[in-house]
Amino acid sequence: MNRWKMIAALAALSFTAAPWAQDAYVVGLSGAVTGPNADTYAPGVESVRLYIDQLNKRGGVNGKPVRLIVGDNQGEPSKAAADAKKFITQDNAVLLANVSISSTYGPMVAEAKRARVPLLFAGGACPAEVLPPNPDELQFCSIGPAMKYDAEMALRFIKEQSREPVKLGLVAMAIPLSRAGIDYAESLAPTFGITPVAKEQIPPPTPDYTPYASKLKGADPNWVYSWGPWITEVKTFEALRKLGWTGRYIAAALNPAEDELARVKDELFYGFGPNAMFLENLPVHQEMRDAARGAKLTYPITQMTEGWVAGMVIEQTLKKVAWPPTPEKVLAAIGTLKVDTKGLRGGPIEWSKTNHFGSKQHYRVYRWDAKKQAVVRVQDWVTVDVK
Amino acid sequence: MQLAVNIVVLAAIYALISCGYVLIYRVSRVLNLAHGELMLVGAYLLYSTASLLGGNPLTAVAMAAVLGLLVGVLVYVLLMRRMTGEMVLAAVLCTIALGVMLRGATVLIWSAQVRHPMEALGWSNPSLVLFGDARISLISAILIGATAVVYAALFGFLGFTRWGIRMRAAGQNPLLASQRGIQLHGVYALAWGLSTFTAGLAGMLISLDSSLDGTMTMIGLKAFPAALVGGLDSLAGALIGSAIIAIAEVLLIQFVNPLLSDVVPFFVLLAVLVIRPWGLFGSKEELDRV
Amino acid sequence: MPNASGYFRTSLDQDLVLLDTRTQKVSCAVFCALLLFVPFVAKPLFIDIANQVFLAAIGALALMLVTGFAGQISLGHAGLLAAGAFTAGILFKEFAAPIWVTLPASACIGAVFGLIFGLPSLRLRGLYLAVSTLGLHFIVVYLGGEYETRRGFSTGIPLDPPSIGGWSLDNGRAWYFVLLAFAAGATLFSINLLRSKTGRAWRALRSNETVAEALGVHVAGHKLLAFVISSAMTSIAGCLFAYYRSFVSVEAFSLFLSIQYVAMVIIGGLGSILGALLGAVFVVLLPYIVEWVTAILPLTASISGLIFAINHTVFGVVMVLFLLFEPRGLVGIWQRLQNYFLLWPFRQTPLSSER
Repeated sequence: MNRWKMIAALAALSFTAAPWAQDAYVVGLSGAVTGPNADTYAPGVESVRLYIDQLNKRGGVNGKPVRLIVGDNQGEPSKAAADAKKFITQDNAVLLANVSISSTYGPMVAEAKRARVPLLFAGGACPAEVLPPNPDELQFCSIGPAMKYDAEMALRFIKEQSREPVKLGLVAMAIPLSRAGIDYAESLAPTFGITPVAKEQIPPPTPDYTPYASKLKGADPNWVYSWGPWITEVKTFEALRKLGWTGRYIAAALNPAEDELARVKDELFYGFGPNAMFLENLPVHQEMRDAARGAKLTYPITQMTEGWVAGMVIEQTLKKVAWPPTPEKVLAAIGTLKVDTKGLRGGPIEWSKTNHFGSKQHYRVYRWDAKKQAVVRVQDWVTVDVK
Repeated sequence: MQLAVNIVVLAAIYALISCGYVLIYRVSRVLNLAHGELMLVGAYLLYSTASLLGGNPLTAVAMAAVLGLLVGVLVYVLLMRRMTGEMVLAAVLCTIALGVMLRGATVLIWSAQVRHPMEALGWSNPSLVLFGDARISLISAILIGATAVVYAALFGFLGFTRWGIRMRAAGQNPLLASQRGIQLHGVYALAWGLSTFTAGLAGMLISLDSSLDGTMTMIGLKAFPAALVGGLDSLAGALIGSAIIAIAEVLLIQFVNPLLSDVVPFFVLLAVLVIRPWGLFGSKEELDRV
Repeated sequence: MPNASGYFRTSLDQDLVLLDTRTQKVSCAVFCALLLFVPFVAKPLFIDIANQVFLAAIGALALMLVTGFAGQISLGHAGLLAAGAFTAGILFKEFAAPIWVTLPASACIGAVFGLIFGLPSLRLRGLYLAVSTLGLHFIVVYLGGEYETRRGFSTGIPLDPPSIGGWSLDNGRAWYFVLLAFAAGATLFSINLLRSKTGRAWRALRSNETVAEALGVHVAGHKLLAFVISSAMTSIAGCLFAYYRSFVSVEAFSLFLSIQYVAMVIIGGLGSILGALLGAVFVVLLPYIVEWVTAILPLTASISGLIFAINHTVFGVVMVLFLLFEPRGLVGIWQRLQNYFLLWPFRQTPLSSER
């Protein structure tokens, strides 16, 4: 007798969800559009959106439009799981994508496995499961930064740049993935003849970075390597500078790096990453700017490279999928994908049975130049083999 | 030496935040869990006024501060006023819901992008060299000064002015206070206004020193153990509690494991509460039921 | 049960019956039949939502016992869910334990944590107690995070679907029945517990500790018992959550989750089993409803994530409005509705009888 209202509400909900007529390639993307981590991931979601909109304006793929369904997981794993479930069961998505914090990967992978739908990581950092030699058959990663190769590249760069012996400080955000990346760099450093002297893991909500910075400075490093979300990287650097530290600092150049290097204006603050910055002014950058002009964007175009690359991957994958699309066909197509990134990366993205990440990683290094009053490239593409 | 400076700065941050918790709790027995979000709103207000009034940074700061006060009064008038006399827990939940709303609204209005009010104001944040080669950034120094002024003003206000005494009376016994002709709603609104003002101030200064993004709300929550250790209804307690938590946190970061700095404030809190259930300086109260 | 015309029970046996009138029996039977029938016609998304409701209901019932009936505020609920989930995850990963080991183990760990969570309640009251449980939440989450990092599960601990007697629980419909059974079991358990000596002792405790003690209630023991039982139930919910979602990670058990559970018991209506169930339904459904409503409004033209910010905001607004206009919870609405029909054509109770 009690609970009629509940039934009514539930029933109403179940009937409103009428099935869509399948008239498009459906891609489900779960991202942290709001919530505490949105500053890192929302631009990525927006740029995938922008790319797919442009694609549809050009006539879509194989004569059919691509419908990108975005879910906001707010950086919460349970919401990501619910999103994935909805994409698969309700929207009949043939491809899933994730642009969110690493803790949302697990639940999405679980749902993807259950329904055998391929999953593309399109923002954040690549999980270990996509790397050779035995990648998970359903997981793919178009994201540039990857902890092992980033560490290798950064250490190599540090070694080349310095004549004196290197005492290295390491900075991570206290989240599992970032900590793992820094731990790896610490273990790798001695092979480059670099001595790690301090390691800081900084919890994400930190009112004042100075206590961490002063401990780091206490160990007297002449180089610091930071790998984690951009906020931790840049705020730790600024705190170090305020304390009078004069060493050199290298950080993974994530989405906001280009604008941030220009804001910080420090010649010894290096940003390295697999994406070409907008200062290179490639034709594809112009294309992106043109696309952005028509659309009302919330985030600056300089933060959109990762999402744009993911968009290219989605387009090239779906192009190889004959109508009507199924997750199996998409899986077959994405498994042997080769995408020309038009210079946004140092080379094409190439996936195979044994590698869902890319066989080569290319990095460029940038920093602020006080004379030119601009961000400049310090080093052109350096290649690290993905083994 | 640097260690001492770090402790003082962190203690000042926590103290400036926690006095807002104390003000509202002392006057209306409501725990405001939207405090972090109100800090965020204050900081964003500064960002907006700074972008609008690029040439007049001081006007921008003043305007943002006044707007912060106004937001607090509005929150009370539109929202918390209706919750007076309801279950305490329902009122607390209402502040949580307010927080959720504000978080969404800030993304809606200002987007989730990281902002730098310092740039918008056109100021710089040089670091000052103190004795013993310790350094402090200008904004941190201002923050310490602001905390001192706020606390001195609040002590003076609550101790000697008419409205301050009314506020204490309303906190002690609302029924009696209103029978003696004290406008309870006015007093409560003032408490909310002041609390939001200090929250906004804290938000502005923190965002000026580093940057402005959604994680600010979690910083608000981190100051919470400080307010509790001292006793939720004591300003002096908030000051001492902030100092204790800051000392514990900075020493842990320096000598033990920075990862513990999230957990240890709560250990301290538990230890204090088990010995003195009402905090170090809090007054014993009759809050038996939910 | 409030009956407009009077109270007709004449023996203890009659008072022990859960459903005493025919209308109640029939409507309950119809409701059960509907619940059992739903998964065969509903969409997978709907089943997923229903499963979330069942999971939330177990947790909400547990919180209702300790907060709504024994009067002890707890903000550590997410910590207890995490304890259950991590017990399952760790046992599965380290010892490949099957579900019939992990589930009881979760309950035991939950009970132990409940004892620890309950200890502050012997000295603390009200908000101070709430915050001390919050502290314990942070400690559990810290331990879980350390485990994840140390063992290299940087993106969460994956779990395989459990199998019971060779029958693998890997689709929504199977889960629906399992979770429904657990939720129904938890409901019956709670109802019966509250009708027992323990339940009455809790209510006495909640009303006034001194009086309760004078009546012969062992105050400390019953407070701890409330925490232990509630925590064990919560941990079971956490364990089921881990299996249902096939992963465990600390980020899934944020402070916000605790707050959601507190919201469930308050929005549902403190001190009512029905309230816990209604609250669970409301809190789980609200984001979906908000999303659905904003989707049909003509706002979707925007390319940006504006719509999500709107959803986030509206979620907060709805909660605020609800608390402003119905601080007694959904049960308050329900009772008013019930009274309206029971008393019709009158508008007021002739004799105010509190249930």
